[in-house]
Amino acid sequence: MFSKDSRQLVLAHFWVAFIAFFAALLLGEWHMVIRSPLLDWIGNPELYYRSVTAHGSAMGYVFPTLVAMGFGYAIVELSLKQALVGRRWAWTGFILVMLGTVIAMVPVALGKASVLYTFYPPLIAHAAYYIGVVLVVVGSWIWVALMSVNLRAWKKAHPGEAVPLPMFANVAGAYLWAWTSVGAAVEILFLILPVALGFKSTIDAGLARVFFSWTLHAIVYFWLMPAYIAFYTLVPRAIGGRLYSDVMGRISFILFLVFSMPIGIHHLFQDPQVGAGVKFLHAVFTAMVSVPTLLTVFTITASVEIAGRLRGGTGALGWVKALPWHNPMMLAVAFSFILLGFGGAGGLINMSYQLDFAVHNTQWITGHFHLIFAGAIVIMYFAVAYDLWPHLTGRALVHGGMMKAQLWLWFVGMIILTFPWHVVGVMGMPRRMAYFDYTNPEIAPQAITVTLSAIGGLLLVISGVLFLLVLLRGHRSGIVDLPEFRFSQPVHAPGRLPAALNSYALWLALMIGLSLVNYGYPIAQLVALKQTSVPAVPIGGTP
Amino acid sequence: MNEPLFSLKNRWFTIAVAAVAAIAAIAAAIGFLWVPRAHARDAMTSLWESICSAAGAPAPYRNPGLPEDKAIYPTSVIVSSEFTGPIDNVSVGRGATLALQCSMCHGARGTASAGTNAPHLAGQPPSSTYKQLRDFKSGHRPSVVMQPLATNLSDQDMRDLAAFYSQQQRETLVGHAGIRIEVPRIVSNGSPMRNVGACATCHSPGVARVATPILDGLPAVYITDQLKAFKAGRRANDINQQMRNAAHALTDEEIDVLARYYASR
Amino acid sequence: MASTGHDVAAAAESRWAWIVGAIIAFLVAMMAYMSLHWAAMPPVRMETIDPTTLHIAGEFVETNLGSAAEPDGSVTVRVLANQYSFTPQCLVVPANTWLHFRGTAADVVHGFSVSHSNVNMMLIPGYISNFQTRFERTGEHVMPCHEFCGNGHAAMWAHVQVIPRDEFIRRAQSQPGRRLSCVQ
Repeated sequence: MFSKDSRQLVLAHFWVAFIAFFAALLLGEWHMVIRSPLLDWIGNPELYYRSVTAHGSAMGYVFPTLVAMGFGYAIVELSLKQALVGRRWAWTGFILVMLGTVIAMVPVALGKASVLYTFYPPLIAHAAYYIGVVLVVVGSWIWVALMSVNLRAWKKAHPGEAVPLPMFANVAGAYLWAWTSVGAAVEILFLILPVALGFKSTIDAGLARVFFSWTLHAIVYFWLMPAYIAFYTLVPRAIGGRLYSDVMGRISFILFLVFSMPIGIHHLFQDPQVGAGVKFLHAVFTAMVSVPTLLTVFTITASVEIAGRLRGGTGALGWVKALPWHNPMMLAVAFSFILLGFGGAGGLINMSYQLDFAVHNTQWITGHFHLIFAGAIVIMYFAVAYDLWPHLTGRALVHGGMMKAQLWLWFVGMIILTFPWHVVGVMGMPRRMAYFDYTNPEIAPQAITVTLSAIGGLLLVISGVLFLLVLLRGHRSGIVDLPEFRFSQPVHAPGRLPAALNSYALWLALMIGLSLVNYGYPIAQLVALKQTSVPAVPIGGTP
Repeated sequence: MNEPLFSLKNRWFTIAVAAVAAIAAIAAAIGFLWVPRAHARDAMTSLWESICSAAGAPAPYRNPGLPEDKAIYPTSVIVSSEFTGPIDNVSVGRGATLALQCSMCHGARGTASAGTNAPHLAGQPPSSTYKQLRDFKSGHRPSVVMQPLATNLSDQDMRDLAAFYSQQQRETLVGHAGIRIEVPRIVSNGSPMRNVGACATCHSPGVARVATPILDGLPAVYITDQLKAFKAGRRANDINQQMRNAAHALTDEEIDVLARYYASR
Repeated sequence: MASTGHDVAAAAESRWAWIVGAIIAFLVAMMAYMSLHWAAMPPVRMETIDPTTLHIAGEFVETNLGSAAEPDGSVTVRVLANQYSFTPQCLVVPANTWLHFRGTAADVVHGFSVSHSNVNMMLIPGYISNFQTRFERTGEHVMPCHEFCGNGHAAMWAHVQVIPRDEFIRRAQSQPGRRLSCVQ
């Protein structure tokens, strides 16, 4: 039940996402090289920051949003087995995202919005950049609404039945995104745009940072949702196994929904505008958000073990050898878990309030989020694309060899890119510098690590090229007759679920309540303070 | 199984809400009570003070600033992005009249003639010209030449002059057009380990930074004099020492190179 | 058969859940312990300040920036950040003394870290940041700006000189009322 129009809708989302991804990937490698000792200092540092703004905005706001949206639409039809309700709205949302991207990228390309994707008020860019970002978010809110509408339609047609796990997780991710995007939306609409459009000339930088922190951490859980949905619902089937526990899966997604958002102030540990008690509260809840990942690691490892034993593997670890290592999905999940392990460990350090002092705003942070997002998550985006592609195009996806090479290159490249990056961060190298004086004895030891990272990045570029090649060729191979798309089967069918595991009201209430407890006082306090609004500093002069 | 979701009889509801509330309560107790109490005893502040600081509540700002006679203030001008406001034609007109008295050194339309070593005023941002006039008048920028001339200018006069000059087009001097000097590294990148900022990141026309002059075309002798004055501390009207910091580690040779670079533009 | 399989699975899951809980509890306990015994950010009330008048009056005027010996034996180091330098460019501090860093920004968001130390502060215009630490050894450190503050961010590096405590006291006593720095 995958209609042609829906397939085109999903393909459109994926293609724009992957093209944006590849363009940003090229920029990213340029960044690694230009600030390494391999090249002379960049003559115009503004170009570097312009490029970092484009890279961050594309990789953070455009690429994962479109992947989540496309995957979400596919899940609606494939798991609920009903036609997508609101198809015209879906196309509208897609067009809004595209329009917003173009509107934002024009001032960036012209050098009028080099404020980086984290905005950094009181620096103020051209208003069009912010308006573009807002349009992208609004387009994604249309998707959120459609996910909810489609689930409700299915529930009316199937009263009392368990919502299929892929859709349950999908909608949880959508609601999470809706709530999480409110922070940056408020920052842009009420604090930044009035200044960018000339209605106000002052802005409270501290309050703006608190609002952005609301979005900044939870957005990575929004990015993570497609990957985790793939872990639970695609991987076990793809490797010939069963999902260890459907219920544990639901609990993990529920925990993400509750704990992802109200923890953002761990990005502000060194900031003066938030009190230490509030920071401690956020640190504790950040510890809680590692729980669903740890549960997922167990459940998925167990599911993979089932596949191994079904293939004849025996012994405590013998089943690992029996796994279908020739299958790209198997490679993807293994690589993702390895990268997730390292990235997650790094995250535990970042969240531990006092340990963060050693690494805040050093290259450790940049290495960390590239490892976990560009590594563990994006590799699963590749896997999702490979898994869905035949069903989207109606054609076979051959070139298993190229797919495996692509995944290997991404994995190895990611390790070579990010491990030295973490090291150089611990050595104290600061973030967002366009050039470094490697002749200085304090900085000279960092030179070789930066060069290593640049080499790792090169492998990633090659991997990116291979990825696009595989997908392109997937459009030109022979038409095949595919069996119906199946998601993973759990070992024990869920049967009748308690309402708590089949709906969201309780969890949304907890999420909102926790947000009020964790963010209520800091925001209210800063809004009430009038004297902390400072003059804006427009990029390129007052408009 | 069939109980409503939001009722105490539903185990999921009670356990979930109780667990989240317990975690929040314990974290709050540690973060807002236990830790502040421990620090309160050390620092001998009251417990309530410590709880408020843990929450992030502001206190009225206590100013331990130096007494008047010990403090040396660089300028009395408060600089922010809007402080000279938009330019209107009436102001420009008045400024044109006032500028007649300045034309001897600064040129009829703001481009100083070669040999005077006076800076060009044409095309300079109004905030920059205005601030320097204020500083000349108050003595924050010492100048035997400019101080008597600026004394008689009122605040509005200074704004008008600044507005007028900002609207003028600087004329590139004969013999300079077409010369292309390579951009010195100190201009494009500064010298990070000596904390010398990159001149271009503030002084390029495209940056349009408030109260920041455009250096293109300024006489080399003028630039050299000013940089040496900043370096020695003789000129100190730069807010928060930003130019004194930038010039502090420059060698004489570097000053010479960048002065000639900017003079050639 | 199915139910025992189910029970085995459930037992394995709950064992893992307990392990996860223990890991989380350990991390939280560690944070609580460190908060109690090592407050890098001293418990002061949130302080606000007007960034446009820093140079005219108040704690962060030029002549008050730098290191000041306090009566209780500690040293207060006041530092100001703007596009694109720190003032003072070279901070001089004594070893084996409690140092209280106080800083703010005059225009946009800056931040700094001091190499080979745990000093790490954000400087937000409108707010004053506080940090306390001790340096055990003498030596030279670099102090880069680590938060994006505009196109000139990469050139914004200051220095920190840690000198023996008695030398610092001597210098402070030879210039009473003046703030110390190592800017030559």
